[in-house]
Amino acid sequence: MTDLLRSYGRGLSWIFVSLTAFWILVLIVLPQGFMLETSLWDINRDDQLGMKIDRAYSDLGLLEYDVTAAAEADKPAIQAKIDALQSEIADLESQETDPPREYGIQNYTKMSSLHFMIFVKSIVYALMVTALALVVCYPIAFAIAKVAPPQRAALMLLGLVIPYAINELLRVYAWLMILDYQGVINSVLMWLGMVEFADKSWIPFLEYSGSVFVALIYAYVLFMIFPIYNTVDTLDRNQLEAAKDLGASTFKIHWRIVIPHAKPGIAVGCIMTFMLSVGSYSVPQIMTRGKSGDWFSQLIYRQFFEAQSWNVGAAYSFSLVLVCLAFILIMMKVFKVGIRDIAK
Amino acid sequence: MAVTTADGTIGPKARADKGGIAWSSVILNCYIGLFFIYLFAPLAVMSLAAFNAYEYPSVTQWRGWTLHWFGELAQDDRILQGIVNSLTVAVGVIVVALPLGLSGAMILTRLNSRYNNMLYAVLVSPLLMPGIVLGISTLIFWGRAGVSGGLFLTVVAQASFVASYCMLLFMARLQRQDRVLEEAALDLGASSFFMFRRVTLPFLRPTLITGAVISFLQSIENYNTTVFAIGGDWTLVTEIGSRFRFGLSPVINVIGVLFVLVTIVAAVAYTIHKERERKRKSIR
Repeated sequence: MTDLLRSYGRGLSWIFVSLTAFWILVLIVLPQGFMLETSLWDINRDDQLGMKIDRAYSDLGLLEYDVTAAAEADKPAIQAKIDALQSEIADLESQETDPPREYGIQNYTKMSSLHFMIFVKSIVYALMVTALALVVCYPIAFAIAKVAPPQRAALMLLGLVIPYAINELLRVYAWLMILDYQGVINSVLMWLGMVEFADKSWIPFLEYSGSVFVALIYAYVLFMIFPIYNTVDTLDRNQLEAAKDLGASTFKIHWRIVIPHAKPGIAVGCIMTFMLSVGSYSVPQIMTRGKSGDWFSQLIYRQFFEAQSWNVGAAYSFSLVLVCLAFILIMMKVFKVGIRDIAK
Repeated sequence: MAVTTADGTIGPKARADKGGIAWSSVILNCYIGLFFIYLFAPLAVMSLAAFNAYEYPSVTQWRGWTLHWFGELAQDDRILQGIVNSLTVAVGVIVVALPLGLSGAMILTRLNSRYNNMLYAVLVSPLLMPGIVLGISTLIFWGRAGVSGGLFLTVVAQASFVASYCMLLFMARLQRQDRVLEEAALDLGASSFFMFRRVTLPFLRPTLITGAVISFLQSIENYNTTVFAIGGDWTLVTEIGSRFRFGLSPVINVIGVLFVLVTIVAAVAYTIHKERERKRKSIR
């Protein structure tokens, strides 16, 4: 703090501090806090409420008629009844406009078995995407960082940046065209005489979860390459040479030198790929086109914009946060890296 | 392939079985080649369909070349309005995210506290959370304050994580800063505002530009966060997203072609610029 004050004086320091505080509070902590809070209650709506209010009003009408027709002596008694009824109506109406909240973890625990299966499926697929992406990307990242001569490495990086920069919706859309009923693969199969469009004997790839898996990999594989490339790039070539000269096998060089050095990059790559896959709304939305089975992100979307049950949606969304947090902690433990190494 | 090994990268192995073919590098190169085909073939398929005179996007039912869909795009009011909205949001995100990112970076690099790591974790947490969660939490929080989804909430939701990107960029730059310059300016009697404007900001200028460009791209491309915060409005990308359910036509492929072209031109220009800079440095 003193360092900041000494360099930038009170005015600027105050601006930096208040902007950062604004960012933390208004853009990060409070939204998350309110989401958590929303997930912890639901509205206990009384189905009979409307009917009760109607009945009370009709009773009130009768009493008001009575009070004009009744003898003078009976009036106070009836008036008292009217007052009681009116306060009851006010109470019921306040329940209607502002129903009582019931706090608890019911939004989490009452997740139906179908939704829970989808939750698990989304996590399992995201884990598989992460594992496969790691296996596919490691050799590429190593080759660009350490094997290819500089100019070819620059060209290869360019070849990675271009698809990376193209919108993920459009990249996923490309796979929709490939796997569609009358898409590229089915057309090739028809050409080979294996399927027939006329009798719709095409293979319905889009109805399988596998098509979402394929598109998830394609959409997020590059998020694995760049972090690994960045860390492998800083490895001193002499270390590799020395190991080679001392007779280490290729496997041993990677296991003992390259991978330990690339740990932070591998951890970041895995975290990003997992997080993007498990929370992707775009990929399942495009590949299933809302027709075949939902993924977890789609369930959440429906809670907000179709079912209008924000409390349940918030609970599902917070579950996703917990899953990602758990994954990050596991990665930090497995690769023995700190938070500072992770987000670089 | 021999060139690769001969310049001494993974050299010794090639030297050991001299005369023979280094199979490992042949396999590696084939693998890389396949990977790049995997990356680009789907984009080629998507781009090609933009020129097919068939009303459903396809490359296999070929009805001849056409530019009809480009004309269709030019008349598509929702998409054009979407582009305007996307640009509006992107400018808003830059304006919000850059100062926040800079402030966060200033505090983290100048603050030696044991809470530093915790602060850092909070400030990068938006990058480690699924995009939909950021959209949802923004929607809920501002919903309580009576603000419903729209372009404003989209700016807010996107800025929460774009600011983290900016912060990381600024931190990387600030760590290479020579503080002596700032101290000299102060010793010579400059006010801290003046010093910040004349010493610190010029030093940060390249990062301000990179940060603005990255914020712009992140904002334009974003879908998962935006789709929750956008409400009844739309950006180019959410409009594309909704077309997958209703009214899929090659107009989307035309947008794809334009995206691919712009990206290739920008990326090639950037790479050439980088290569030139690298050569200039190595000459010195």
